[in-house]
Amino acid sequence: MKKTLISSAVLAATSLLAAPAFAAAPDWGGVEAREITLFYPGVSPLEWIQKGTEHGGARALKKGETCEGCHDEETADMGTKMVTGQKIEPSPIAGKAGAIPVKVQAAHDGENLYLRFSWKQPAASGAAKMDADNPVKIAFMLESGSQIELAEQSGCWATCHQDLRTMPGGDEAKTKYVKGASLAEGKFYDLYQWRSGENKGYDGYVADKRVMEGGKALQSAEGKLDGDQWTVVFTRSFSGAEGDVALEAGKVYNFGFAIHDDSAVGRYHHVSLGYKLGIDAKADITAAKK
Amino acid sequence: MTDQDNGKQCGLMASLCKPSTKYSLGSLLVIGIILGVLFWGGFNTALEVTNTEKFCISCHEMEQNVYQEYKETIHYNNRTGVRATCPDCHVPKEWTYKMIRKIQASREVWGKITGTIDTREKFEAKRLQLARSEWKRMKASDSRECRNCHSFESMKPEMQKQRARKQHEMAIEDKMTCIDCHKGIAHHKPEGMTDEDEE
Repeated sequence: MKKTLISSAVLAATSLLAAPAFAAAPDWGGVEAREITLFYPGVSPLEWIQKGTEHGGARALKKGETCEGCHDEETADMGTKMVTGQKIEPSPIAGKAGAIPVKVQAAHDGENLYLRFSWKQPAASGAAKMDADNPVKIAFMLESGSQIELAEQSGCWATCHQDLRTMPGGDEAKTKYVKGASLAEGKFYDLYQWRSGENKGYDGYVADKRVMEGGKALQSAEGKLDGDQWTVVFTRSFSGAEGDVALEAGKVYNFGFAIHDDSAVGRYHHVSLGYKLGIDAKADITAAKK
Repeated sequence: MTDQDNGKQCGLMASLCKPSTKYSLGSLLVIGIILGVLFWGGFNTALEVTNTEKFCISCHEMEQNVYQEYKETIHYNNRTGVRATCPDCHVPKEWTYKMIRKIQASREVWGKITGTIDTREKFEAKRLQLARSEWKRMKASDSRECRNCHSFESMKPEMQKQRARKQHEMAIEDKMTCIDCHKGIAHHKPEGMTDEDEE
């Protein structure tokens, strides 16, 4: 009896001590949601968006315009055009969704950033599964200080190149990278992913190559499918280790996210344009203190 | 030339130079006006015949290549039922510019006779050169033919979709002209375009 009491007390004390690391997620009902429509990007790497003969917006990009500034309202149409092969998709997958509207919510408690993504599962294409273990994967990236060329304007596109694996004629060994990468100088994208099959979160980064693990900022990544509705919540501490962007209240970060739906890998994902995530700061998505 | 021929020629010239004693000035004036109207009317009619889509696509070079591409575009079919035909974009409306363009177009007749683009392969091989020449003409005239129907003054960017609005606001700010961006609006873009073509 005495022993049980002592162990209960120890357990209670341990859970109290551990409380900050596993801080409770906010009441999402009271957090404003921004709907962002992810779209199928075909073969449109960083090199493509800058080529005037291919992309009519290359001139605007050169002048400093963001991708979002021109395309935010038409992502669904763009996705349909590309997924059906009308534009820049040499190997279209019949029946694949062109776009996925996602609700994004963000909040923080001074120590952790909470990001919640929810979306309706699109119909499966029925095509061969590229990643049979994970029907769905969702990832987001953060970049601080716009130190990487076009990071501020193009979001994740700064990591996407024509020579990557799964690109036509790409190098099978090449994963995402950024030009002029340097972890020490903060020239990298902080990367987080949740995989449905493994039900596991990954904390990595994109510098001269993509690294999926080793970060210390991710506290948890939990996802569930309720009917046809997916919800994934990431809890990420403000500070971390090498390859983790340090978050601060009052600052704005370059932000983008993607879903690998329909057991996809590599470029066959649905992506967001580049957006801004603010911590107690006005941005496309603002994480306010709860 | 014989003396007899010389004599005839001198006689014709002499008659043309000599004041008329047989016809009144009024009759000559009326005949002159009638002949003038007939000549001018004939000339203009012929000119207008060459200024129709029917005439343009009477050559298979145009009918089988650019015309088929144009038929897929908004300048051919659209919700308002307005159609811009070949000469609307490629021949100036104003008389002086129209005549200059028509004289330039005589080279195209030579091209037709010698068969410079009489096969699909020949056309594709020459497409970039031909397109560049037309883009240059349009750029030099500040896209005059586009502006017969479109103008920044009558355009309301706020009624346009996000992408068009941004691009047009930027074009106004940078004093750009339609053809700077709208290459390939009525025909396929040629292979082999360079970044300079888009500048």
